[in-house]
Parts: sequence; structure tokens; C-alpha cells
Amino acid sequence: MADKIKYQYGFHKQEKYIFKSKKGLSPEIVKEISRQKQEPDWMTKFRLDALKIYHSKPLPYWGQNLGEIDFDDLYYYLKPIEKKAASWDELPKEIKETYEKIGIPEAERKFLGGVSVQYESEVVYKSIKKTLTKKGIIFLDMDSGLREYPAIVKKYFGKIVPSTDNKFAALNSAVWSGGSFIYVPKGIKVELPLQAYFRINAQKLGQFERTLIIADEGSFVHYVEGCTAPIYSTDSLHAAVVEIIVEKGARVRYTTIQNWSKNVYNLVTKRMEVKEDGIGEWIDGNLGSKLTMKYPSLYLTGKRAKGEILSIAYAGRGQCQDAGGKAIHLAANTSSKITSKSISVDGGKTVFRGLVRVYPEAVGSRTKTVCNTLIIGKESKSETYPTMDIRLSDVIAEHEATVSKISEEQLFYLNSRGIERNEAEALIVNGFIEPIVKELPLEYAVELNRLIQMEMQGSIG
Amino acid sequence: MSLLIQNLSVEIAGKTLLKNINLEINAGQIHVLMGPNGSGKSTLAQAIMGNQNFKIQNSNDKSNLKFKIQIDDKNITTLATDGRAREGLFLAFQNPVAIPGVSVANLLRIASKVNQLKSSHNPALSVWDFNERLVATAEKLGIRQELLKRSLNEDFSGGEKKKLEMLQALILQPKYAIFDEIDTGLDVDALRIVADGINLLKKSGTGILIITHYQRILKYALPDRISVLVNGRIVATGRNELVEEIEKEGYKRWQTK
Repeated sequence: MADKIKYQYGFHKQEKYIFKSKKGLSPEIVKEISRQKQEPDWMTKFRLDALKIYHSKPLPYWGQNLGEIDFDDLYYYLKPIEKKAASWDELPKEIKETYEKIGIPEAERKFLGGVSVQYESEVVYKSIKKTLTKKGIIFLDMDSGLREYPAIVKKYFGKIVPSTDNKFAALNSAVWSGGSFIYVPKGIKVELPLQAYFRINAQKLGQFERTLIIADEGSFVHYVEGCTAPIYSTDSLHAAVVEIIVEKGARVRYTTIQNWSKNVYNLVTKRMEVKEDGIGEWIDGNLGSKLTMKYPSLYLTGKRAKGEILSIAYAGRGQCQDAGGKAIHLAANTSSKITSKSISVDGGKTVFRGLVRVYPEAVGSRTKTVCNTLIIGKESKSETYPTMDIRLSDVIAEHEATVSKISEEQLFYLNSRGIERNEAEALIVNGFIEPIVKELPLEYAVELNRLIQMEMQGSIG
Repeated sequence: MSLLIQNLSVEIAGKTLLKNINLEINAGQIHVLMGPNGSGKSTLAQAIMGNQNFKIQNSNDKSNLKFKIQIDDKNITTLATDGRAREGLFLAFQNPVAIPGVSVANLLRIASKVNQLKSSHNPALSVWDFNERLVATAEKLGIRQELLKRSLNEDFSGGEKKKLEMLQALILQPKYAIFDEIDTGLDVDALRIVADGINLLKKSGTGILIITHYQRILKYALPDRISVLVNGRIVATGRNELVEEIEKEGYKRWQTK
């Protein structure tokens, strides 16, 4: 009961599927997924190759314990309805109700540039504003992207994050479904953020969306991905891959607020290549899940390429957020900044893992890592692993780290204004992450603050 | 109608800081507490507000009188700090702490909300009215608009901090407000502005306790009653003539006793 009150989005809808793959993973299942989606042969082969790589790779030897995931007890593909709906009215009533609960129509009315929604493993609802199409901007779910723009997809798919990168990238490559495909033509600036809401709803469902964003020269796009998920009785796995190419002089900002329910393993590979004079930005907020391991990466391959990673991690009781970021400098005069704010509450654990690598060709580059941790409660834990691998001398590299606690003095002050202890703590936590939150679109900022308040109310500081 | 404090004794780390304090602050009046450095003035302010760090003595008091704190006949002795605040008690801190990422606007919006929800003494305001009142009140106090949005007390000057404490009092409209050395570090203009704020509160019926070393603020905020605190005890209570006496003679008379 307490959980229900705490977890606002923990409702559950009856499932309706056209096709549901068998539990577990085999070449047959992978072939069947590809056949269901009527994919070209090269993609089927790509999937099967990835499956082999997946089987050959061990679980990561570093980081957190993943031994509890029963990979044979998962469904790797679900297809809820046959045809994709082009408008809100065409959606099944049940799905519409779900979305009304998370408030999509309202959000859309406000300022969405376009909505792509993932229900289960399939994108079922999508509305693209005419202006997007007129400007030549492609904003599709990944499956449609593959069908409609096979040449572009073939050129970029799996190039930034190859299947060999890590076990979960390989798994995603074998069974991926859904996600977003975005192409922004040269010189086009998408003024409104493109948003997609993700949701998983079935027990034992693995979610493996795949996102590919290409920002052509001089273009700009801000992509926003928000997740809420209901509560299940068994563990669930989310292993997404995000690949982004920022061409010369382009800029991409990718914002995620992730709030998976507290039994989800969230193992995501996100990587962005930034070319000459380009700007790449990751804003990554991790609140939910049982365990998250996620390190958005920047590969600065062009001269004067710039990258920034803003990471927020919140871990409550029974949660571990192992997050951070990577910046790899491969060209001259590149710059990167990683800012991490992590909060562990009520026995939760946060880990900051950062990697900055500067290759000899990256002369005149600069990089800065700032890592602030707030610990609330005696049992809460925090670890920091900043790695700096600088292979030349002409570089400015800075690192700053702080660990703080909420002071009794601050609590007394807020109490003296009539604010209860829990609410005072939430206020201080929200203040702590404010420098990052102010970078979020307004409704996400409001939602994040509210989520933290809800979480803090149930915790013992 | 009054804020009544009876038999308040406080010790910290085995040392007695306040001994059997009895104090009554009437609604709509200004009560001034004066005393030398280290006499226990700030301890008194914080103990009234319910600071958990202070141990309130009860049993080993010979007179066996129990500590009691009461707002308008309502006993609030067992309430924690936030509960006392919602009953209408307010403390302007001598050294208010910085709260990174939390603006005074944000803080007051939340504080007003909880005060409205959980007590009856504060009238409900719409978001619009609230903002309008906040901006207008800040202007009256000569507070730059920009300060309303910045992290509270972070890199604020001494004077700015004091003015922001006053701003909070004016917005929250407490029944009883304690001003702990609101006058230190203020120039004449700021002093007058802060005193105007106190007078405004008084006019609207707030009972006020000003804690100070100096008589200079009392020129602008005329006291109804003066108490003198020396070595953790209230040694005298009276009217304005006490201020003049202290101004001339200092606290020697009571310290030698």
C-alpha cells in the first residue's frame, strides 16, 4: 500500500498483444522478431551476428552485481497492436487511458513539436507536426525509419555503438525494437524539443529500444525522453542503445528523465560523436530502477568540438545508481565538461564513474569534471571513480569533487518557517540539483522536483 | 493575547545557559530584550523556536516548575520547531544559513502553502497575488528583485541577509516574531527600513521580541517593554528608562550582583 501511494505512476493496464515472443533468447526468436517486422536481410544478419557476440561476452567484471538477472525468464519481443496509429483517435481505448494518466495529451497541447510514444516494444502513437515534415526533418520510430529510409539507417546503424562494444549493446542489437529515428537536414534548427514518452507495461518484459539521431551540418535539435513505468512483481530489464552523430557545426541536446519502477535493471549505452565545431550535450536524470548503469559518452572527433554531460542520480532504499559520463578527446582544441550531482537517501547507493581520455592529437583541449554528492541518512552510500587518462601535456584538465550532508542548521532554519523535516530535506535536495534542473524543459523540471518530493516523503533521513 | 514563556531553563553540554526564564510578549506590542555578549540572548531565541540541540531542563529545578510555552492560550510546549512556526511563531536569525539552490521566493511559496494548509492564522493567496505581494514587499524593503531568485543567503551581504529575514516575516505575517540582532551590521538607512517593517508588523497585531545590544533601533521602533538578560537570567523588566540607564551605565549593576 505504501508503495502505491509513493509511486504515482504504478498503475497497471490489462495487456493486449497481437504477438508475444516466447520467453528466453535463441537465433529462432531473433529471426522471428526480424520476420515479424519484415526487415531487410542485412538487419536480420546484423541481429544474428549481435546475438553471437552477446553469448560470447561475459557480464561486466566491474561495476555492480548483475548476476540476479534471469535472462531466460524474459520476453524479448512484444507487439501490442498491428498497425501504428497516426492520430490520437485511432489508438485503442486502453492505451489512450494509460497515456491520459501520464498526461501526454496535456503536454502535447502545451508545446510539443511532435510526439512519439513507445507502448511495450512498439511505437503505437505518433503525431508529427506538419512543420517538421516541411523542413525535411525525419522523426519516426526506429522500425519505420528502417523501412522508409533504409539507406540512411544502414549507413549509421551500429557505427557509433558497435555490437561488440559491450554485452548489453550486443543484446540490444540482437533484439532491438522501437526507439526513435531522427534526421535533421543541413542548417535546420528544430526550435521545439522533440519528445518521446516511453513505457513498459508487461511483466517480465525486456525493453530494448534503439535510438539513432543524425544532425546534419549546422543543424540543431533537442530530443527529450521521459520514462515512467508501472510496478511489477518480477525483475525487468531495460537495455537501450542511443547513437548520435553531430555533424560539422551542428548541435544536439539529449535529455532523459528516467524513472523506471524499482525492480528494473537499466543498462544503457549512449554515445555521441561530435565533429568539427559541433556541440553535443547529454542531460541525464536517473531516479528510478533497482540498478542503473549508464555513462553517456562524448567522442569529440572534430576540431573545436564541444561536449557537456549533466548527470543527476537519486538512489533511495534498495536502489543503486551507477552513473556518470565519458569524454574522449580525439581532435585539437576540443572541450568537455562533466557535471554530476548524486543523492543517496535512506540506504541508497550512488556511484559516480567518469572517464576523460585525451589522445595526443587533441592539443590545446580542455576538460573539467565536477562531481557533487549529497548523502542523507546513516546507511546511505556513495562512491566516486573519476578516471583521467591524459596522453599529452598541452591540456587543461580540472577535477572537483565534494561530498556533503544536509546540516541541522539548514533544517532548523526551514523548520522555523513551518516546513516539516521531510519537506525541508526535499527542498534542500531540489536546491542541490537546481543548477542542472534549470536546463530542463519546464514541465520536466516541475515533474522532477515533484518526484523527488514524493520520494523524500517516504524516506527516513 | 500573548506569547508566554514560563520556567525556561536550558543547558548544553552540562552548562546552564538559561535559568528559569519567564517572559510574556503581548500581541501588537514591542518587547525588547537587551543584554551583554554571551548572556544567552540567541540561545533564548532559538530555545523558544524549539532548537533540538538545546536540552530543556525540567526536573532538577528546585522550584519544580515546569517549562511551558503558550501562544494565545494554546500550549505549544510539545510541538517541534515546524509545528510552532505553523502556530504563528517566527524567528529572524542573527546569522541565517545559506540554502544553495533555494530562493527566498521558492521558500516563501512553500512556507505560505504549509502555513495555510495546517493552520488558520494565515490567509490563502493565489499564486499571482503571492508574487505581487512578494515583489511589492521586497521593493518596500529596498531589496533588489534579483535577490528574490538567487540562492537564499548565498554570497549575500550582511545587510541583505537581514532584509531578507524581514521580508520573510512580512510575507508570513506571524502572530509572534523574534528578531535576533536584526540591527547589527545595518547602516542607518537599512536600520530605518527594518524598523519600519517591525512597526508594520506591530500595527497588524504581531507581538514582537527584539533582541539587541544597542538602543539605536529603538529610536525607530518604540518599545513597549524592556527586559534585561544577564548570565542567563532576566534581571530587570521595565520601560524606556531602562534603555537610557544601560546606555549610560552598561550592565555593570547586574553583573556585580
